[in-house]
Amino acid sequence: MKVLSKAKLEEALNKLSEANEVFVPMQKKAQSGYFPWNSFVSGQDELMLEALNVYQSPKGAVLPQTEKMYRYQQGGMEINIEETFEDSHPTIIFGARACDVKGILAMDEVFLTRGYEDSFYKARRSGNTIIANACYEPGPNCFCNAMEVDCVNPAGADVILRDGGDAYVWEVKSEKGEAVTAVIAGLLEEKEVSLPQLKPFVQKVDYSGVAEKLKTMFEHPLWDKLSEPCVNCGMCTFVCPSCYCFDIQVKMWGDEGYRFRAWDSCMFEEYSREAGGGNPRGASKERFRQRFLHKLEFFTERYGTPLCTGCGRCMIVCPTDINIVRIIDAVKEAEVND
Amino acid sequence: MKEITNKLQEIAARLFNEGKIDVFLAWEKGEHDFQTKSYAARSVDDVKNIIFNEYSIYNVSNSLLKFRDGQERIGIAVKGCDSRGIVRLLEDLQITRDRLYIVGIPCPGLKDPLAAARSFGGLGKKQEPEGLAQKCLECIQPNPVIYDELIGSEQTPRQQGDRFAAVREIEAMTPDERYKFWEDTLSTCIRCYACRQVCVACDCRTCIFDEMKPQWVGRETNTTDNMMYHLVKHAHMAGRCIECGECERVCPVGIPLMLFNRKLIKDVGELFGGPEAGMQYVEGAKPTLSVYRENDPDEFI
Repeated sequence: MKVLSKAKLEEALNKLSEANEVFVPMQKKAQSGYFPWNSFVSGQDELMLEALNVYQSPKGAVLPQTEKMYRYQQGGMEINIEETFEDSHPTIIFGARACDVKGILAMDEVFLTRGYEDSFYKARRSGNTIIANACYEPGPNCFCNAMEVDCVNPAGADVILRDGGDAYVWEVKSEKGEAVTAVIAGLLEEKEVSLPQLKPFVQKVDYSGVAEKLKTMFEHPLWDKLSEPCVNCGMCTFVCPSCYCFDIQVKMWGDEGYRFRAWDSCMFEEYSREAGGGNPRGASKERFRQRFLHKLEFFTERYGTPLCTGCGRCMIVCPTDINIVRIIDAVKEAEVND
Repeated sequence: MKEITNKLQEIAARLFNEGKIDVFLAWEKGEHDFQTKSYAARSVDDVKNIIFNEYSIYNVSNSLLKFRDGQERIGIAVKGCDSRGIVRLLEDLQITRDRLYIVGIPCPGLKDPLAAARSFGGLGKKQEPEGLAQKCLECIQPNPVIYDELIGSEQTPRQQGDRFAAVREIEAMTPDERYKFWEDTLSTCIRCYACRQVCVACDCRTCIFDEMKPQWVGRETNTTDNMMYHLVKHAHMAGRCIECGECERVCPVGIPLMLFNRKLIKDVGELFGGPEAGMQYVEGAKPTLSVYRENDPDEFI
């Protein structure tokens, strides 16, 4: 099998970075997330491929938190779009876990299917290659197995890395994968490496029937209790690998300006505020319910797979210990009057 | 701590049985032993869920905001920092004193459940220090400043040395160095607004950052908009921050937010003197920078 020795990892990242922006999981001072390899500061930053995962998911590589869309000039009643910023520069997400890759596949569904293609997303995604990192040791918060994710064989990856101790097995899965492999072909070796067995999941989650049951639970009293500790910050949505909501806004000076989109969060009051001032989700409970219904019911209804990928990040970051696994449990156990 | 838990449950049960409260705000156990969450007990049957342990760090005074428009009579358990939050809400007329029965807990210093969750979860750095939370090491007021009943004995403030040492370091920088420092630090902000949401002093009904007509602060995550967000948010805290440190504790990208707040505490102290925010409750009293007078000698703020 093809392997990349860990001793040659940095060299491989350097090589890949010659023509690509390579997003790698790292600890960057206080931040933990996917950052471009060429921003890596030796001695200060830490490569986090060996860790289970990082705090911020790689979704920003294909859907940046802030993304300029177009620049315009206004003259009387005319508006001229001077420049659009569809960006297809080559990017590689290096070392993404299966849960995070599933997040990107979910975004593919949203932005590229059902009759409308988002040209900005499409451009970025066309230039993007995913080198995934297979998981053999699920962490204490992991439950991707319950959310239709195969952590050992990440769907949607162009290359799969498998940690075999001193070397990563380099498994090519697509044409894009072939292309990046060609770049570092000189660093790969042929070698037999024994791979670990997948360890059992600590979290036991049963998602079966949840989407169906939730259809009847919009007005269920359980939302009052579950949402009570929530403070409606947007942390869970921003660290989530599959939350893709954005808002389009404008900045202008006199006759010129630009439009951009920026991540938005269903946790924010302003997210669902209507132009006339009304808000169908004015209360904290309603926003909380929306987040979990979207993750566990609505997306499954529309796309046939849940929007939660079981990465467990929201359970770690939440300042008030809101736990999506316990919410799934509560839904399973809830009594519903027909 | 078990004793405090028992005592809290006893007091809450008594208050429910005597018909003095409709809800009791405290903490309940979270998913793991190192997690707790804010809890609203609504009857004597719920009282058994109330706990106080070394992870009961969340500032529950913030939970009062969810009740500000109601009529419920509220029992609430508070540590020193939480109690200062109550004073802030009383001063801002967000809740009335007669709705509250305050149970004070002199706080021995607690641990940070979020740091523990990060270590446990395997995300980011593998292990984080297990000792007292940073905010507790910097605590100047472990004892509740307002209460109807007190559990346990007084604690000594844990703040050692110069409380403003870190602020002085920033002040000593040249303007360019200082700009660079904040540019680097604030460029990492992801604008999740957790610092605002957990802040008890952020009690505005409509927040300037949510206003769209006009939009005062841009929504791009870049240096300019991020700096505007933080400058405006923290400037609003001048004379109001009760130093509970929750903003800094919950920040997912580790921005040292208390540097802003301590700078303002220091400046407000030097410029105006007087007690710090939430340190004492005097009915009708207003904190520094919260009073408007038509005959103010200055033309405008």
